[in-house]
Amino acid sequence: MKKLVASICLITSCGTSIKAEPLPTLPPYAGVYQPKGVDEIGLWQEDDEDERALRDSSVIIRDEKLTAYLKEVLCRTVGPERCESVRIYVLKESVFNASMSPNGTMRIFTGLLLRCRNEAELAAVLGHEFGHFEQRHTLKEFKKKRSATDALSWAAVLAAAASTYQGNSSYSDLRYSVYGELYRYNRDQEREADRLGVAYLNRSDLRPQAASEIWVNQMAEITVSSQAKGFKKPQFNKVAYTASHPPHLERAATMAALALPEGNSRDDGHIRYQNAIRPWLAQFLDDQIKVGDFGASEYIITSLAQSGWTSDLWHARGELFRLRGNPRDHVNAVDFYRAAIALDPLKAESYRGQGLSLMKTGQRAEAATAFNRFLELKPDSQDASMVKMLLQSLAEVKS
Amino acid sequence: MKHRTRIASVLFIMGIAGTFSNPASANALKEAGKVALVAKTGMSVTPPRAWNSLALRPSKNAEIWTLDGEQLNKVTFFAGIASGVPLYKERNKKRESLPKMRADTLLVDIPELLEGTIRGYNNVAIFEVTNSMPAKFLGKDAIQFNYTYTDNDQLPRLGEAVATIVGGKLYMVTFEAPRLHYFKRTVEDYRRLVASASLK
Repeated sequence: MKKLVASICLITSCGTSIKAEPLPTLPPYAGVYQPKGVDEIGLWQEDDEDERALRDSSVIIRDEKLTAYLKEVLCRTVGPERCESVRIYVLKESVFNASMSPNGTMRIFTGLLLRCRNEAELAAVLGHEFGHFEQRHTLKEFKKKRSATDALSWAAVLAAAASTYQGNSSYSDLRYSVYGELYRYNRDQEREADRLGVAYLNRSDLRPQAASEIWVNQMAEITVSSQAKGFKKPQFNKVAYTASHPPHLERAATMAALALPEGNSRDDGHIRYQNAIRPWLAQFLDDQIKVGDFGASEYIITSLAQSGWTSDLWHARGELFRLRGNPRDHVNAVDFYRAAIALDPLKAESYRGQGLSLMKTGQRAEAATAFNRFLELKPDSQDASMVKMLLQSLAEVKS
Repeated sequence: MKHRTRIASVLFIMGIAGTFSNPASANALKEAGKVALVAKTGMSVTPPRAWNSLALRPSKNAEIWTLDGEQLNKVTFFAGIASGVPLYKERNKKRESLPKMRADTLLVDIPELLEGTIRGYNNVAIFEVTNSMPAKFLGKDAIQFNYTYTDNDQLPRLGEAVATIVGGKLYMVTFEAPRLHYFKRTVEDYRRLVASASLK
């Protein structure tokens, strides 16, 4: 971890001193593109089918305001002409990921939105993915790896033969892993997308230095998460995005070097981003906590809190510690819920969590007070009758 | 050489397929009216109608029963889950650890335990507990709760569960089925099965 922090300092403070590469320029934009050749037409047809299924899927967050905001950030990054070819879908999934497929479908995962700290960081990831799209990397890789589809046919046969649903779903996973392989780009393509991503940012009105910052932040999160799980080395290949986008400090350093130095004083859109995400933040945090990755969740919460603790962040931290559930965790959780309540005295769920943690640390009278306050604030909660039963048991012990 | 490799890979895949495509010997019929021990523990049920029990079990202390296949209606029995033990067997203890039953787990904590398990094990992000209330199960105070979730097959499902803690061990029966048609059609069969449960 110390090494990583030292490297971060090196990148952020001495980024410009890394060997001077020429600043990347954008290729001329071709306008509305139509697929050419058998492979590309076939790929687009499959992609259109996938997009239809995605559009109707229950994993999509249908918030027009949020989607419009994300589109606006993309348009500001890559320019109004280029962004016309993209449709954005927000997927409810807690992993750090975004992808863009050949027909212009951009998938943004809620885990990415949770982890970005400002507009510029989001723009860096979207610009990188758009770079793969503009250079049509998927098609090039598809031609190379066409044999992967043979494996997919076998996966279908095996899934049909599997006698149980669980057997079946393990073969469906194979489908995703093969697709993952299909969408995995080679290192040269990654470098090209990196260069294009920074080039879009350089040309936009956002801070281009964010491209290397989000990368370094993601590496730090994985390092902390791996340590919390008891691994000696960070498990970069086990995280969706970093498995297909190998994180190397050298990459972060190159992006820092390519960023326009005078762009460093530009706005990074921190406040606009926070305002856009705020309605969803509590939900995204809740989804992240329930994934069960304590190290990553703690890193995300404390990282977001760098710009100030909010009641949502304190509450999420309380939930995280309470759900891990060691006796020492409950002691900490009580403090975190208390901090959440101090900022928002009407936060009913914090009283519930506090009551549960207080009960498990033997503070029964305080627990009863917290549960009563919870019921006052949220009498129609889905578990109100269970909390009443707890209160009754607390009263019986007392008497 | 290339030809030989291809034959070898086809034989290998057929071998794998063979291991999964032998349902007749793997699963078992649970006849109506006959007492059935669950997961070789002290919990037993007397099914009012015939059910199928699947050979593939989520863990040593759990068992899956179904009427039309587990995608369409799935009853999972968790019998005697002790402190420190997860509901499902973990695929990888370090990398994909699951929430555990604990000595201080309360009835009100159980929906969160199941939610963390389903989210973690199936990697789903859509799960919501919609309702929970006090109930009786195995003659003890229990919690009954309902939930909705979407699995990787993108099909919205409804769930109902009843759970109690006896001697620090968790006993729970869950029922899951697609929201469309199947839940309503077989939930009463599940409830009758739960009503027949007893603990030695």
